[in-house]
Amino acid sequence: MSAGRLDHAAIRAVLRKDLTAIGRSKAVVLPMLVVPIILLVLLPASVGLAAQDRSIDIDRFLSLLPSGLTEPITGRPPDEQLIVLVLGYLVAPLFLIVPLMVSAVIAGDAFAGEKERKTLETLLHLPARDRDLYVAKLLVGFLPSVAVAWVGFALYCVVANLVAWPVMHRPFLPTAQWAVLILWVAPAVAAVGLGIMVRVSIRVSNTQEAQQLGGAVVLPLVILAVGQTTGLMLAGTGPTFLVGCAAWALAAWLNVRGARAFTRERMAARL
Amino acid sequence: MGEPERAIDCDGLTRSFPAGVALDALTLDVRRGEVLALLGPNGAGKTTTMRLLNGVLQPDRGTATVLGLDPWTDGEAVRHRTGVLTENAGLDERFTALENLEFVGRLRGMGGDEARRRGGELLERFGMSDRADVRVQGFSTGQRKRVALARALLHDPELLFLDEPTSGLDPAATRDVVELIGSLASDHGRTVVLCTHFLGEAGKLASRMAVLFRGVLHAFGTPEELARDLWSAFEVRLDLGAAASGPLLARLGELGPVHGAAPTSSGALVRLEQRDDIPAVVAACVAAGAEVYAVEPRDPNLEDLYFAIEARAAGTVAAGAP
Ligand SMILES: Nc1ncnc2c1ncn2[C@@H]1O[C@H](COP(=O)(O)OP(=O)(O)OP(=O)(O)O)[C@@H](O)[C@H]1O
Ligand SMILES: [Mg+2]
Repeated sequence: MSAGRLDHAAIRAVLRKDLTAIGRSKAVVLPMLVVPIILLVLLPASVGLAAQDRSIDIDRFLSLLPSGLTEPITGRPPDEQLIVLVLGYLVAPLFLIVPLMVSAVIAGDAFAGEKERKTLETLLHLPARDRDLYVAKLLVGFLPSVAVAWVGFALYCVVANLVAWPVMHRPFLPTAQWAVLILWVAPAVAAVGLGIMVRVSIRVSNTQEAQQLGGAVVLPLVILAVGQTTGLMLAGTGPTFLVGCAAWALAAWLNVRGARAFTRERMAARL
Repeated sequence: MGEPERAIDCDGLTRSFPAGVALDALTLDVRRGEVLALLGPNGAGKTTTMRLLNGVLQPDRGTATVLGLDPWTDGEAVRHRTGVLTENAGLDERFTALENLEFVGRLRGMGGDEARRRGGELLERFGMSDRADVRVQGFSTGQRKRVALARALLHDPELLFLDEPTSGLDPAATRDVVELIGSLASDHGRTVVLCTHFLGEAGKLASRMAVLFRGVLHAFGTPEELARDLWSAFEVRLDLGAAASGPLLARLGELGPVHGAAPTSSGALVRLEQRDDIPAVVAACVAAGAEVYAVEPRDPNLEDLYFAIEARAAGTVAAGAP
Protein backbone atom coordinates (compact mmCIF):
# COMPACT_ATOMS: atom_id res chain seq x y z
CA MET A 1 0.00 0.00 0.00
CA SER A 2 2.99 2.26 -0.24
CA ALA A 3 2.88 3.07 -3.92
CA GLY A 4 1.42 6.23 -5.36
CA ARG A 5 1.49 9.90 -4.59
CA LEU A 6 0.19 11.65 -1.54
CA ASP A 7 -3.44 12.73 -1.57
CA HIS A 8 -3.07 16.45 -0.99
CA ALA A 9 -6.77 17.14 -0.56
CA ALA A 10 -6.98 14.61 2.26
CA ILE A 11 -3.83 15.88 3.94
CA ARG A 12 -5.00 19.48 3.69
CA ALA A 13 -8.42 18.56 5.06
CA VAL A 14 -6.93 16.90 8.15
CA LEU A 15 -4.41 19.72 8.61
CA ARG A 16 -7.10 22.31 8.36
CA LYS A 17 -9.37 20.54 10.82
CA ASP A 18 -6.67 19.91 13.41
CA LEU A 19 -5.04 23.33 13.15
CA THR A 20 -8.44 24.98 13.49
CA ALA A 21 -9.15 22.87 16.56
CA ILE A 22 -5.76 23.83 18.03
CA GLY A 23 -6.49 27.47 17.33
CA ARG A 24 -9.81 27.19 19.15
CA SER A 25 -8.46 25.47 22.20
CA LYS A 26 -7.33 27.93 24.84
CA ALA A 27 -5.73 25.08 26.73
CA VAL A 28 -3.34 24.56 23.81
CA VAL A 29 -2.95 28.06 22.43
CA LEU A 30 -2.22 29.84 25.69
CA PRO A 31 0.73 27.66 26.71
CA MET A 32 1.91 27.75 23.09
CA LEU A 33 2.04 31.55 23.23
CA VAL A 34 2.99 32.13 26.83
CA VAL A 35 5.76 29.57 27.19
CA PRO A 36 7.66 30.71 24.09
CA ILE A 37 7.24 34.36 25.05
CA ILE A 38 8.66 33.66 28.49
CA LEU A 39 11.43 31.36 27.33
CA LEU A 40 12.37 33.08 24.11
CA VAL A 41 11.75 36.74 24.86
CA LEU A 42 11.36 37.64 28.54
CA LEU A 43 13.96 35.26 29.95
CA PRO A 44 16.70 36.20 27.44
CA ALA A 45 15.86 39.87 27.87
CA SER A 46 16.23 39.79 31.63
CA VAL A 47 19.34 37.65 31.44
CA GLY A 48 20.71 40.05 28.85
CA LEU A 49 20.01 43.02 31.11
CA ALA A 50 21.74 41.31 33.99
CA ALA A 51 24.68 40.55 31.72
CA GLN A 52 25.32 44.25 31.30
CA ASP A 53 26.72 44.20 34.79
CA ARG A 54 30.40 44.24 33.98
CA SER A 55 31.49 43.13 37.40
CA ILE A 56 30.52 39.55 36.56
CA ASP A 57 33.60 37.49 35.95
CA ILE A 58 33.12 35.18 33.00
CA ASP A 59 36.64 33.82 32.86
CA ARG A 60 35.82 31.13 35.38
CA PHE A 61 32.92 30.00 33.25
CA LEU A 62 34.92 30.07 30.06
CA SER A 63 37.66 28.04 31.69
CA LEU A 64 35.13 25.22 32.08
CA LEU A 65 34.79 24.93 28.33
CA PRO A 66 37.38 23.31 26.08
CA SER A 67 39.77 26.10 25.18
CA GLY A 68 39.29 25.59 21.46
CA LEU A 69 35.63 26.47 21.78
CA THR A 70 35.96 29.74 23.67
CA GLU A 71 37.67 31.58 20.87
CA PRO A 72 34.45 33.21 19.55
CA ILE A 73 34.04 34.80 23.00
CA THR A 74 37.57 35.55 24.10
CA GLY A 75 38.36 37.06 20.71
CA ARG A 76 35.96 39.90 21.45
CA PRO A 77 36.52 43.15 23.33
CA PRO A 78 36.18 42.44 27.08
CA ASP A 79 32.97 44.41 27.64
CA GLU A 80 31.18 42.55 24.83
CA GLN A 81 32.18 39.11 26.02
CA LEU A 82 29.52 38.54 28.65
CA ILE A 83 26.54 39.68 26.61
CA VAL A 84 27.65 37.79 23.52
CA LEU A 85 28.19 34.67 25.60
CA VAL A 86 24.73 34.90 27.13
CA LEU A 87 22.62 36.13 24.25
CA GLY A 88 24.65 34.66 21.46
CA TYR A 89 25.26 31.20 22.91
CA LEU A 90 23.84 30.30 26.31
CA VAL A 91 20.18 30.79 25.40
CA ALA A 92 20.48 28.73 22.23
CA PRO A 93 19.13 25.47 23.77
CA LEU A 94 15.80 27.17 24.35
CA PHE A 95 15.30 27.41 20.61
CA LEU A 96 15.49 23.65 20.31
CA ILE A 97 13.53 22.85 23.44
CA VAL A 98 10.54 25.05 22.71
CA PRO A 99 9.72 23.63 19.26
CA LEU A 100 10.36 20.16 20.64
CA MET A 101 7.83 20.78 23.39
CA VAL A 102 5.26 22.32 21.08
CA SER A 103 5.49 19.44 18.63
CA ALA A 104 5.36 16.87 21.42
CA VAL A 105 2.25 18.39 22.96
CA ILE A 106 0.40 18.56 19.66
CA ALA A 107 1.55 15.21 18.32
CA GLY A 108 0.59 13.42 21.51
CA ASP A 109 -2.96 14.22 20.53
CA ALA A 110 -2.58 13.06 16.91
CA PHE A 111 -4.24 9.66 17.12
CA ALA A 112 -4.81 9.35 20.85
CA GLY A 113 -7.03 12.41 20.63
CA GLU A 114 -9.08 10.85 17.83
CA LYS A 115 -9.54 7.76 19.98
CA GLU A 116 -10.47 9.81 23.00
CA ARG A 117 -13.02 11.84 21.05
CA LYS A 118 -14.32 8.66 19.39
CA THR A 119 -13.73 10.08 15.94
CA LEU A 120 -11.12 7.52 14.93
CA GLU A 121 -13.50 4.97 13.46
CA THR A 122 -15.12 7.57 11.22
CA LEU A 123 -11.69 8.67 10.09
CA LEU A 124 -10.73 5.10 9.22
CA HIS A 125 -13.89 4.71 7.14
CA LEU A 126 -12.90 7.69 4.98
CA PRO A 127 -10.95 7.22 1.77
CA ALA A 128 -7.65 8.78 2.93
CA ARG A 129 -4.79 6.31 2.82
CA ASP A 130 -2.95 5.26 5.92
CA ARG A 131 0.16 7.11 4.85
CA ASP A 132 -1.72 10.32 4.07
CA LEU A 133 -3.24 10.25 7.53
CA TYR A 134 0.18 9.77 9.10
CA VAL A 135 1.73 12.58 7.06
CA ALA A 136 -1.17 14.90 7.88
CA LYS A 137 -0.81 14.22 11.58
CA LEU A 138 2.93 14.79 11.33
CA LEU A 139 2.42 18.17 9.71
CA VAL A 140 -0.19 19.14 12.28
CA GLY A 141 2.60 18.97 14.86
CA PHE A 142 5.41 20.17 12.66
CA LEU A 143 4.02 23.41 11.26
CA PRO A 144 3.11 25.08 14.57
CA SER A 145 6.38 24.07 16.20
CA VAL A 146 8.46 25.49 13.37
CA ALA A 147 6.28 28.59 13.30
CA VAL A 148 6.84 29.09 17.02
CA ALA A 149 10.59 28.64 16.61
CA TRP A 150 10.84 31.04 13.69
CA VAL A 151 8.51 33.74 14.96
CA GLY A 152 10.03 33.37 18.41
CA PHE A 153 13.50 33.80 16.96
CA ALA A 154 12.53 36.89 14.99
CA LEU A 155 11.19 38.46 18.18
CA TYR A 156 14.22 37.31 20.07
CA CYS A 157 16.58 38.98 17.59
CA VAL A 158 14.82 42.29 18.07
CA VAL A 159 14.81 42.02 21.86
CA ALA A 160 18.39 40.74 22.10
CA ASN A 161 19.76 43.46 19.84
CA LEU A 162 17.93 46.11 21.85
CA VAL A 163 19.15 44.75 25.16
CA ALA A 164 22.72 44.49 23.89
CA TRP A 165 22.74 47.87 22.17
CA PRO A 166 24.30 49.86 25.05
CA VAL A 167 27.27 47.47 24.92
CA MET A 168 27.48 46.52 21.27
CA HIS A 169 26.27 49.71 19.56
CA ARG A 170 25.21 47.54 16.59
CA PRO A 171 22.89 44.59 15.86
CA PHE A 172 24.82 41.36 16.36
CA LEU A 173 22.04 38.79 15.74
CA PRO A 174 21.29 36.76 13.70
CA THR A 175 24.62 35.16 13.02
CA ALA A 176 25.36 32.34 10.59
CA GLN A 177 25.32 29.78 13.42
CA TRP A 178 21.94 30.98 14.54
CA ALA A 179 20.59 30.79 11.03
CA VAL A 180 21.72 27.16 10.79
CA LEU A 181 20.36 26.38 14.23
CA ILE A 182 16.94 27.93 13.64
CA LEU A 183 16.38 27.06 10.01
CA TRP A 184 18.00 23.64 9.95
CA VAL A 185 18.50 22.09 13.39
CA ALA A 186 15.34 23.23 15.20
CA PRO A 187 12.93 21.78 12.59
CA ALA A 188 14.95 18.57 12.60
CA VAL A 189 14.75 18.28 16.37
CA ALA A 190 11.01 18.95 16.21
CA ALA A 191 10.70 16.20 13.59
CA VAL A 192 12.56 13.78 15.87
CA GLY A 193 10.14 14.64 18.66
CA LEU A 194 7.24 14.07 16.27
CA GLY A 195 8.60 10.72 15.17
CA ILE A 196 8.51 9.66 18.80
CA MET A 197 5.25 11.27 19.82
CA VAL A 198 3.10 10.27 16.85
CA ARG A 199 4.26 6.73 17.42
CA VAL A 200 3.33 6.95 21.07
CA SER A 201 0.01 8.48 20.11
CA ILE A 202 -0.77 5.51 17.88
CA ARG A 203 -0.26 3.10 20.74
CA VAL A 204 -1.99 4.70 23.69
CA SER A 205 -5.67 5.29 24.11
CA ASN A 206 -5.83 8.90 25.27
CA THR A 207 -3.89 12.13 25.11
CA GLN A 208 -2.94 12.13 28.76
CA GLU A 209 -1.26 8.75 28.46
CA ALA A 210 0.52 9.98 25.36
CA GLN A 211 1.91 12.96 27.24
CA GLN A 212 3.08 10.82 30.12
CA LEU A 213 4.70 8.14 28.06
CA GLY A 214 5.95 10.62 25.46
CA GLY A 215 7.37 12.95 28.08
CA ALA A 216 9.54 10.15 29.40
CA VAL A 217 10.89 9.47 25.92
CA VAL A 218 11.36 13.10 24.89
CA LEU A 219 13.00 14.18 28.15
CA PRO A 220 16.44 12.75 27.27
CA LEU A 221 16.33 14.79 24.08
CA VAL A 222 15.65 17.92 26.08
CA ILE A 223 18.56 17.17 28.40
CA LEU A 224 20.80 16.54 25.41
CA ALA A 225 19.74 19.83 23.86
CA VAL A 226 20.36 21.73 27.09
CA GLY A 227 23.78 20.20 27.55
CA GLN A 228 25.13 20.36 24.04
CA THR A 229 23.64 23.23 22.08
CA THR A 230 25.85 25.99 23.45
CA GLY A 231 28.98 24.00 22.76
CA LEU A 232 27.69 23.23 19.30
CA MET A 233 27.14 26.89 18.52
CA LEU A 234 30.62 27.72 19.75
CA ALA A 235 32.01 25.01 17.52
CA GLY A 236 30.68 26.88 14.50
CA THR A 237 28.31 26.50 11.57
CA GLY A 238 29.90 23.36 10.12
CA PRO A 239 29.41 21.14 13.17
CA THR A 240 25.98 22.67 13.80
CA PHE A 241 24.95 21.85 10.26
CA LEU A 242 26.23 18.28 10.60
CA VAL A 243 24.34 17.74 13.83
CA GLY A 244 21.26 19.02 11.99
CA CYS A 245 21.89 16.41 9.29
CA ALA A 246 22.14 13.71 11.91
CA ALA A 247 18.89 14.91 13.50
CA TRP A 248 17.13 14.87 10.12
CA ALA A 249 18.39 11.37 9.45
CA LEU A 250 17.10 10.23 12.82
CA ALA A 251 13.79 11.99 12.20
CA ALA A 252 13.47 10.35 8.79
CA TRP A 253 14.18 6.92 10.23
CA LEU A 254 11.73 7.39 13.10
CA ASN A 255 9.00 8.69 10.84
CA VAL A 256 9.38 6.07 8.16
CA ARG A 257 9.06 3.47 10.88
CA GLY A 258 6.18 5.39 12.40
CA ALA A 259 4.37 5.54 9.08
CA ARG A 260 4.79 1.79 8.71
CA ALA A 261 3.53 1.20 12.22
CA PHE A 262 0.43 3.17 11.44
CA THR A 263 -2.03 1.00 9.57
CA ARG A 264 -5.78 1.16 9.49
CA GLU A 265 -5.96 -2.47 10.34
CA ARG A 266 -3.87 -2.04 13.46
CA MET A 267 -5.91 0.96 14.56
CA ALA A 268 -9.24 -0.70 13.79
CA ALA A 269 -8.28 -3.88 15.59
CA ARG A 270 -8.05 -1.84 18.78
CA LEU A 271 -11.26 0.08 18.36
CA MET B 1 -16.88 -0.40 -17.26
CA GLY B 2 -19.29 -3.29 -16.92
CA GLU B 3 -21.00 -2.83 -13.60
CA PRO B 4 -21.35 -6.09 -11.74
CA GLU B 5 -24.89 -6.94 -10.82
CA ARG B 6 -23.96 -7.49 -7.23
CA ALA B 7 -22.79 -4.71 -4.98
CA ILE B 8 -21.22 -7.09 -2.50
CA ASP B 9 -20.10 -10.64 -2.82
CA CYS B 10 -18.25 -12.31 -0.04
CA ASP B 11 -17.09 -15.81 0.39
CA GLY B 12 -15.81 -17.42 3.55
CA LEU B 13 -14.93 -14.09 5.15
CA THR B 14 -13.31 -14.79 8.49
CA ARG B 15 -11.80 -12.57 11.11
CA SER B 16 -10.54 -13.32 14.60
CA PHE B 17 -9.42 -11.17 17.47
CA PRO B 18 -7.29 -12.35 20.36
CA ALA B 19 -10.51 -12.96 22.28
CA GLY B 20 -11.91 -15.26 19.62
CA VAL B 21 -13.55 -15.50 16.22
CA ALA B 22 -15.63 -12.41 15.46
CA LEU B 23 -16.76 -13.53 12.03
CA ASP B 24 -16.63 -17.11 10.85
CA ALA B 25 -16.72 -17.90 7.13
CA LEU B 26 -19.37 -15.40 6.12
CA THR B 27 -20.70 -16.02 2.64
CA LEU B 28 -23.37 -13.74 1.27
CA ASP B 29 -24.14 -11.34 -1.53
CA VAL B 30 -25.95 -8.04 -1.79
CA ARG B 31 -27.60 -7.02 -5.03
CA ARG B 32 -27.44 -3.50 -6.36
CA GLY B 33 -30.32 -1.38 -5.14
CA GLU B 34 -31.14 -3.81 -2.39
CA VAL B 35 -31.50 -3.19 1.33
CA LEU B 36 -29.93 -6.05 3.22
CA ALA B 37 -30.61 -6.26 6.93
CA LEU B 38 -27.80 -7.66 8.98
CA LEU B 39 -29.41 -8.89 12.16
CA GLY B 40 -28.00 -10.43 15.25
CA PRO B 41 -27.62 -9.94 18.99
CA ASN B 42 -24.80 -7.97 20.57
CA GLY B 43 -21.43 -9.32 19.59
CA ALA B 44 -22.80 -11.22 16.59
CA GLY B 45 -20.23 -9.70 14.22
CA LYS B 46 -22.29 -7.07 12.39
CA THR B 47 -19.90 -4.19 12.92
CA THR B 48 -16.93 -6.43 12.15
CA THR B 49 -18.59 -7.38 8.86
CA MET B 50 -19.02 -3.72 7.95
CA ARG B 51 -15.41 -2.95 8.75
CA LEU B 52 -14.20 -5.86 6.67
CA LEU B 53 -16.38 -4.90 3.71
CA ASN B 54 -15.18 -1.30 3.82
CA GLY B 55 -11.52 -2.28 3.92
CA VAL B 56 -10.92 -1.03 7.43
CA LEU B 57 -10.13 -4.46 8.80
CA GLN B 58 -8.24 -7.17 6.97
CA PRO B 59 -9.83 -10.61 6.79
CA ASP B 60 -7.87 -13.59 8.08
CA ARG B 61 -9.37 -15.73 5.34
CA GLY B 62 -11.96 -15.48 2.63
CA THR B 63 -12.60 -13.00 -0.13
CA ALA B 64 -14.85 -10.04 -0.61
CA THR B 65 -15.76 -8.03 -3.67
CA VAL B 66 -17.37 -4.68 -3.01
CA LEU B 67 -18.51 -2.62 -6.01
CA GLY B 68 -16.29 -4.80 -8.12
CA LEU B 69 -13.20 -4.15 -5.99
CA ASP B 70 -11.33 -5.93 -3.27
CA PRO B 71 -11.89 -3.80 -0.18
CA TRP B 72 -8.60 -4.79 1.34
CA THR B 73 -6.30 -4.00 -1.60
CA ASP B 74 -8.41 -1.20 -3.10
CA GLY B 75 -9.65 0.25 0.14
CA GLU B 76 -9.44 3.90 -0.89
CA ALA B 77 -11.38 3.31 -4.09
CA VAL B 78 -14.06 1.38 -2.22
CA ARG B 79 -14.32 3.97 0.53
CA HIS B 80 -14.65 6.74 -2.03
CA ARG B 81 -17.86 5.10 -3.17
CA THR B 82 -19.27 3.99 0.16
CA GLY B 83 -20.81 5.97 2.98
CA VAL B 84 -20.73 4.76 6.56
CA LEU B 85 -22.77 5.54 9.59
CA THR B 86 -20.87 4.10 12.53
CA GLU B 87 -22.47 2.90 15.71
CA ASN B 88 -21.59 5.99 17.67
CA ALA B 89 -21.93 9.08 15.56
CA GLY B 90 -18.22 9.94 15.82
CA LEU B 91 -18.66 13.66 15.37
CA ASP B 92 -15.96 16.04 16.50
CA GLU B 93 -17.44 18.01 19.35
CA ARG B 94 -15.08 20.90 18.86
CA PHE B 95 -16.75 21.75 15.57
CA THR B 96 -20.18 22.73 14.39
CA ALA B 97 -22.45 20.34 12.55
CA LEU B 98 -21.65 21.94 9.22
CA GLU B 99 -17.91 22.01 9.91
CA ASN B 100 -18.01 18.29 10.63
CA LEU B 101 -19.55 17.74 7.22
CA GLU B 102 -17.19 20.16 5.55
CA PHE B 103 -14.16 18.27 6.85
CA VAL B 104 -15.39 15.00 5.42
CA GLY B 105 -16.36 16.68 2.15
CA ARG B 106 -12.90 18.17 1.74
CA LEU B 107 -11.26 14.90 2.62
CA ARG B 108 -13.35 13.29 -0.08
CA GLY B 109 -11.99 15.82 -2.53
CA MET B 110 -14.86 18.30 -2.66
CA GLY B 111 -14.15 22.00 -2.60
CA GLY B 112 -15.01 23.90 0.58
CA ASP B 113 -17.99 25.66 -1.01
CA GLU B 114 -19.36 22.50 -2.51
CA ALA B 115 -18.96 20.60 0.76
CA ARG B 116 -20.74 23.34 2.70
CA ARG B 117 -23.54 23.58 0.14
CA ARG B 118 -24.15 19.82 0.10
CA GLY B 119 -23.82 19.69 3.87
CA GLY B 120 -26.31 22.51 4.28
CA GLU B 121 -28.82 20.78 2.02
CA LEU B 122 -28.55 17.51 3.89
CA LEU B 123 -28.80 19.13 7.29
CA GLU B 124 -31.92 20.86 6.10
CA ARG B 125 -33.33 17.57 4.87
CA PHE B 126 -32.77 16.11 8.33
CA GLY B 127 -34.35 19.08 10.07
CA MET B 128 -31.04 20.28 11.43
CA SER B 129 -30.54 23.50 9.48
CA ASP B 130 -31.16 25.67 12.55
CA ARG B 131 -28.29 23.90 14.29
CA ALA B 132 -25.90 23.78 11.37
CA ASP B 133 -23.61 26.40 12.89
CA VAL B 134 -23.84 25.21 16.47
CA ARG B 135 -21.04 23.17 17.99
CA VAL B 136 -21.91 19.50 18.24
CA GLN B 137 -20.94 19.37 21.91
CA GLY B 138 -24.44 20.04 23.21
CA PHE B 139 -26.31 17.89 20.69
CA SER B 140 -28.61 15.08 21.75
CA THR B 141 -28.06 11.51 20.58
CA GLY B 142 -30.71 11.88 17.90
CA GLN B 143 -29.31 15.16 16.62
CA ARG B 144 -25.86 13.64 16.39
CA LYS B 145 -27.24 10.67 14.53
CA ARG B 146 -28.84 12.93 11.97
CA VAL B 147 -25.66 14.89 11.42
CA ALA B 148 -23.75 11.63 11.07
CA LEU B 149 -26.30 10.34 8.59
CA ALA B 150 -25.95 13.54 6.59
CA ARG B 151 -22.21 12.99 6.64
CA ALA B 152 -22.59 9.44 5.33
CA LEU B 153 -24.67 10.74 2.43
CA LEU B 154 -22.54 13.78 1.65
CA HIS B 155 -20.92 12.41 -1.49
CA ASP B 156 -24.01 10.54 -2.64
CA PRO B 157 -22.44 7.10 -2.19
CA GLU B 158 -23.48 4.06 -4.18
CA LEU B 159 -23.30 1.79 -1.19
CA LEU B 160 -24.25 2.66 2.35
CA PHE B 161 -23.27 0.84 5.52
CA LEU B 162 -25.60 1.90 8.27
CA ASP B 163 -24.81 0.58 11.73
CA GLU B 164 -27.93 0.92 13.85
CA PRO B 165 -29.15 4.09 12.15
CA THR B 166 -32.24 4.53 14.30
CA SER B 167 -30.93 3.67 17.75
CA GLY B 168 -31.40 6.68 19.97
CA LEU B 169 -33.94 8.32 17.68
CA ASP B 170 -37.45 9.25 18.78
CA PRO B 171 -40.39 7.64 16.96
CA ALA B 172 -40.85 10.50 14.52
CA ALA B 173 -37.18 10.65 13.63
CA THR B 174 -37.09 6.87 13.34
CA ARG B 175 -39.94 6.97 10.86
CA ASP B 176 -38.19 9.70 8.86
CA VAL B 177 -34.95 7.79 8.73
CA VAL B 178 -36.68 4.55 7.79
CA GLU B 179 -38.47 6.37 4.98
CA LEU B 180 -35.27 7.97 3.85
CA ILE B 181 -33.41 4.66 3.72
CA GLY B 182 -36.29 3.15 1.81
CA SER B 183 -36.27 5.93 -0.76
CA LEU B 184 -32.50 5.79 -1.15
CA ALA B 185 -32.83 2.24 -2.30
CA SER B 186 -36.09 2.34 -4.21
CA ASP B 187 -35.87 5.80 -5.83
CA HIS B 188 -32.16 6.34 -6.09
CA GLY B 189 -30.91 2.82 -6.67
CA ARG B 190 -28.56 2.91 -3.72
CA THR B 191 -27.50 -0.27 -2.02
CA VAL B 192 -27.84 -0.36 1.74
CA VAL B 193 -26.41 -2.72 4.32
CA LEU B 194 -28.39 -2.11 7.46
CA CYS B 195 -27.15 -3.44 10.78
CA THR B 196 -29.91 -3.35 13.27
CA HIS B 197 -31.54 -4.78 16.34
CA PHE B 198 -34.91 -3.40 15.37
CA LEU B 199 -36.84 -6.02 13.52
CA GLY B 200 -39.58 -3.56 12.64
CA GLU B 201 -37.33 -1.45 10.48
CA ALA B 202 -35.65 -4.48 9.00
CA GLY B 203 -39.08 -5.81 8.07
CA LYS B 204 -40.11 -2.54 6.46
CA LEU B 205 -36.92 -1.95 4.53
CA ALA B 206 -35.03 -5.08 3.81
CA SER B 207 -35.64 -7.32 0.87
CA ARG B 208 -33.40 -9.92 2.40
CA MET B 209 -32.01 -10.48 5.82
CA ALA B 210 -28.94 -12.16 7.16
CA VAL B 211 -28.97 -13.34 10.75
CA LEU B 212 -25.62 -13.61 12.45
CA PHE B 213 -25.05 -15.24 15.76
CA ARG B 214 -21.62 -15.37 17.40
CA GLY B 215 -19.96 -14.68 14.07
CA VAL B 216 -21.81 -17.39 12.18
CA LEU B 217 -24.42 -16.73 9.53
CA HIS B 218 -27.48 -18.72 10.55
CA ALA B 219 -30.04 -17.60 8.03
CA PHE B 220 -29.96 -15.63 4.83
CA GLY B 221 -32.81 -14.86 2.46
CA THR B 222 -36.14 -13.12 2.13
CA PRO B 223 -38.36 -13.27 5.22
CA GLU B 224 -40.66 -15.67 3.33
CA GLU B 225 -37.80 -17.96 2.47
CA LEU B 226 -36.65 -17.98 6.04
CA ALA B 227 -40.15 -18.64 7.29
CA ARG B 228 -40.55 -21.56 4.91
CA ASP B 229 -37.25 -22.84 6.10
CA LEU B 230 -38.22 -22.68 9.73
CA TRP B 231 -41.90 -23.36 9.79
CA SER B 232 -43.19 -26.43 8.12
CA ALA B 233 -46.42 -25.98 10.05
CA PHE B 234 -49.32 -23.59 9.75
CA GLU B 235 -50.69 -21.87 12.82
CA VAL B 236 -54.27 -20.99 13.63
CA ARG B 237 -55.62 -19.01 16.51
CA LEU B 238 -59.06 -20.20 17.61
CA ASP B 239 -61.33 -17.79 19.43
CA LEU B 240 -63.63 -19.89 21.61
CA GLY B 241 -64.73 -17.13 23.99
CA ALA B 242 -62.76 -18.81 26.80
CA ALA B 243 -59.62 -20.87 27.24
CA ALA B 244 -59.93 -24.29 25.64
CA SER B 245 -60.65 -27.09 28.09
CA GLY B 246 -58.33 -30.01 28.62
CA PRO B 247 -60.60 -32.58 26.99
CA LEU B 248 -61.05 -30.36 23.93
CA LEU B 249 -57.31 -29.93 23.55
CA ALA B 250 -56.84 -33.67 23.87
CA ARG B 251 -59.48 -34.27 21.25
CA LEU B 252 -57.90 -31.77 18.86
CA GLY B 253 -54.57 -33.42 19.43
CA GLU B 254 -55.97 -36.70 18.25
CA LEU B 255 -56.85 -35.28 14.83
CA GLY B 256 -54.46 -36.48 12.14
CA PRO B 257 -53.23 -33.15 10.70
CA VAL B 258 -52.85 -31.39 14.06
CA HIS B 259 -49.25 -31.12 15.27
CA GLY B 260 -50.04 -29.51 18.53
CA ALA B 261 -52.58 -27.46 20.42
CA ALA B 262 -51.99 -25.04 23.26
CA PRO B 263 -54.55 -23.09 25.27
CA THR B 264 -54.69 -19.31 25.11
CA SER B 265 -56.77 -16.98 27.26
CA SER B 266 -59.52 -16.85 24.66
CA GLY B 267 -59.24 -20.26 23.05
CA ALA B 268 -56.35 -22.20 21.57
CA LEU B 269 -53.37 -21.99 19.29
CA VAL B 270 -53.32 -24.94 16.94
CA ARG B 271 -50.58 -26.04 14.59
CA LEU B 272 -51.69 -27.71 11.41
CA GLU B 273 -50.08 -29.15 8.35
CA GLN B 274 -51.90 -26.82 5.99
CA ARG B 275 -54.80 -24.47 5.48
CA ASP B 276 -57.11 -27.20 4.23
CA ASP B 277 -57.13 -28.75 7.67
CA ILE B 278 -58.98 -25.82 9.26
CA PRO B 279 -62.58 -27.09 8.64
CA ALA B 280 -61.83 -30.39 10.37
CA VAL B 281 -60.55 -28.52 13.41
CA VAL B 282 -63.63 -26.31 13.54
CA ALA B 283 -65.89 -29.34 13.16
CA ALA B 284 -64.11 -31.11 16.02
CA CYS B 285 -64.59 -28.07 18.25
CA VAL B 286 -68.27 -27.83 17.41
CA ALA B 287 -68.72 -31.54 17.95
CA ALA B 288 -67.16 -31.16 21.40
CA GLY B 289 -69.69 -28.46 22.22
CA ALA B 290 -67.36 -25.47 21.97
CA GLU B 291 -68.50 -22.27 20.27
CA VAL B 292 -66.16 -21.00 17.57
CA TYR B 293 -66.20 -17.19 17.26
CA ALA B 294 -63.23 -16.73 14.99
CA VAL B 295 -60.43 -18.63 13.27
CA GLU B 296 -57.35 -16.61 12.42
CA PRO B 297 -54.45 -18.06 10.50
CA ARG B 298 -51.34 -16.62 12.06
CA ASP B 299 -48.31 -15.88 9.90
CA PRO B 300 -45.06 -15.85 11.76
CA ASN B 301 -43.80 -12.28 12.07
CA LEU B 302 -40.22 -11.24 11.83
CA GLU B 303 -39.85 -11.38 15.54
CA ASP B 304 -40.93 -15.00 15.66
CA LEU B 305 -38.53 -15.74 12.87
CA TYR B 306 -35.68 -13.98 14.54
CA PHE B 307 -36.14 -15.67 17.86
CA ALA B 308 -36.56 -19.01 16.18
CA ILE B 309 -33.29 -18.53 14.32
CA GLU B 310 -31.58 -17.32 17.41
CA ALA B 311 -32.88 -20.22 19.43
CA ARG B 312 -31.80 -22.68 16.76
CA ALA B 313 -28.42 -20.98 16.57
CA ALA B 314 -28.00 -21.11 20.31
CA GLY B 315 -28.43 -24.84 20.07
CA THR B 316 -31.72 -25.04 21.92
CA VAL B 317 -34.36 -27.03 20.15
CA ALA B 318 -36.61 -24.88 18.06
CA ALA B 319 -38.79 -27.44 16.44
CA GLY B 320 -40.89 -24.94 14.58
CA ALA B 321 -42.98 -23.19 17.21
CA PRO B 322 -42.32 -19.56 17.95
N1 LIG C 1 -11.37 -4.57 17.78
C1 LIG C 1 -11.75 -5.68 18.43
N2 LIG C 1 -10.93 -6.26 19.31
C2 LIG C 1 -11.30 -7.37 19.97
N3 LIG C 1 -12.48 -7.98 19.81
C3 LIG C 1 -13.34 -7.45 18.95
C4 LIG C 1 -13.03 -6.27 18.21
N4 LIG C 1 -14.08 -5.95 17.42
C5 LIG C 1 -15.00 -6.90 17.66
N5 LIG C 1 -14.56 -7.79 18.57
C6 LIG C 1 -15.32 -8.96 19.05
O1 LIG C 1 -15.91 -9.58 17.95
C7 LIG C 1 -17.25 -9.94 18.22
C8 LIG C 1 -18.18 -9.28 17.21
O2 LIG C 1 -18.21 -7.89 17.47
P1 LIG C 1 -19.05 -6.86 16.61
O3 LIG C 1 -18.72 -5.51 17.13
O4 LIG C 1 -18.82 -7.11 15.18
O5 LIG C 1 -20.53 -7.23 17.02
P2 LIG C 1 -21.90 -6.51 16.65
O6 LIG C 1 -22.74 -7.53 15.97
O7 LIG C 1 -21.64 -5.25 15.93
O8 LIG C 1 -22.48 -6.22 18.09
P3 LIG C 1 -23.39 -5.00 18.61
O9 LIG C 1 -24.78 -5.31 18.25
O10 LIG C 1 -23.18 -5.05 20.09
O11 LIG C 1 -22.87 -3.76 17.98
C9 LIG C 1 -17.51 -9.55 19.65
O12 LIG C 1 -17.34 -10.69 20.45
C10 LIG C 1 -16.45 -8.54 19.95
O13 LIG C 1 -16.08 -8.58 21.29
MG1 LIG D 1 -22.03 -3.32 16.33
